[in-house]
Amino acid sequence: MKHLLLILIYKGVMPLFLKFIGVKITPKKRLQPNMQYIIVANHNSHIDTMALMSSIPAKDLNRTHPVAAATYFGKNSWLAVLSKLFVNTILIKRSEEGGESTALDTLGNFLSKGHSLIIFPEGSRGEPEKMQAFRKGIGVLLQRYPHIPYIPVYIQGTGKILPKGERLIVPYDAIVHFGKPTFCKAQTVETIVVNVKNKILRLKD
Amino acid sequence: MHFEHLTSIHQMLLVILGVLVFATLLFWIWKKIKPGAQVDELMTRTKSWWVMASIFAIAALVHPIISFIAFALLSFAALRELSSISKNARIEDRSVIFWAYLAIPIQYFFAYMGWMLPFLIFIPVFMFTWIPFILVLKGHTQDIARSMSVIPTHLMLTVYSLSHLAYLLSLPISVGGRGLLLYVVFLTEMNDVFQFTWGKLLGRNKIIEKISPNKTWEGFIGGLLSTVLASILLKFLTPFTTYEAIGAGLLIACTGFVGDIIVSAIKRDFGLKDTGTVIKGHGGILDRMDSLIISAPFFFYYVYLLHIVR
Repeated sequence: MKHLLLILIYKGVMPLFLKFIGVKITPKKRLQPNMQYIIVANHNSHIDTMALMSSIPAKDLNRTHPVAAATYFGKNSWLAVLSKLFVNTILIKRSEEGGESTALDTLGNFLSKGHSLIIFPEGSRGEPEKMQAFRKGIGVLLQRYPHIPYIPVYIQGTGKILPKGERLIVPYDAIVHFGKPTFCKAQTVETIVVNVKNKILRLKD
Repeated sequence: MHFEHLTSIHQMLLVILGVLVFATLLFWIWKKIKPGAQVDELMTRTKSWWVMASIFAIAALVHPIISFIAFALLSFAALRELSSISKNARIEDRSVIFWAYLAIPIQYFFAYMGWMLPFLIFIPVFMFTWIPFILVLKGHTQDIARSMSVIPTHLMLTVYSLSHLAYLLSLPISVGGRGLLLYVVFLTEMNDVFQFTWGKLLGRNKIIEKISPNKTWEGFIGGLLSTVLASILLKFLTPFTTYEAIGAGLLIACTGFVGDIIVSAIKRDFGLKDTGTVIKGHGGILDRMDSLIISAPFFFYYVYLLHIVR
């Protein structure tokens, strides 16, 4: 049932809506079905999550989870239920709330089941068109699961469509650049994080 | 079906179809033999003409309301592109730009109903007051004067001007709106091609090198003469006499040129020639509409003054 709902949203309504407000997703061939990956993207807007979910092959939608902060989406229970139902999110605690190890375990469980994740390592949306420092959680995950590739994605322009703290959606041209699936070879968490960030930034040009 | 039973619109559509098929095949073969950037540019141009031609064909054969919606969407995409590439609007102007988008359905509704006075004054009088007023209510005065002039100008270039193409369809049957629409769009696009071709063949003396290095006097005058010739040949689409058709050809060639260099200058200011400043893979709508932006309203009032208000 939930899978059907997700397909209806992200393969039906959402692509039309994204096209209307000016979000373009490239390249055309970006994700093979039946693959497991961790999508890593920069983050400026709720539109980012919508665009990334719309890029997932229909078959894999219910096995792909955007990772979000429990303090934001779990503020009240109905928001948490809605985000789980309509966006298929996994809610975790931020590291500064002492959630680090439990959060990584939760994500690890989903990865072990063969599910894919969508992670925004900046942690929050920040100011439009400015990239913040990456958190190290993505490094820890990729170190623990080196057989799962990550897919770098650079998103440009969505911060103007719907910036943090605003409710009004205004159309602007924006683009979502998908990179190629990449296996992480570096050893330490810090180098992994730096490598991932560089991969994303390189998609900019 | 005998050819002579078709109306002039149908004949024209067949001619356009023929031209497009010919051009598409020609460029396709050209690309196979000698690939290059120039043929790619010509191919994208042809592709956008297919889109334009389809809009007209559907409007002519199915129902005019489709072309009102299509033109409104074209205005919308052009406004979206212009406000995305503009360096001049501030991020806090988002909500004001939202109001600018809301003007599109209203302006096209007036065009559809054929309400001339509201159509004329809605943007230049009402929106030009409403946008600065909303900006003032927001209370950020830093650079507010710039936003006050930039956002209305965007509306003028993308919505007001293009909506005149749609209004042509609401003109009285005796004047023949569909034929006029086909006439102005076809001649404007052909004028671009003529100027380009004559410029390639004979071009020496540049008109305005800093803005548009490919524009030459030879190309402009060659284009002008070819367009006037075409305007006489296509007179059957319009209520024009031969002299009026010559006037229309001259007007379209000159205003098309003006629109072209205005958009070129804007793009130069936004640094669209430099990489990294623009969002890649987007755009192109303004490039395709540049000449029409100015030729459409001028042509509209030319028809209006000659055949409607007399």
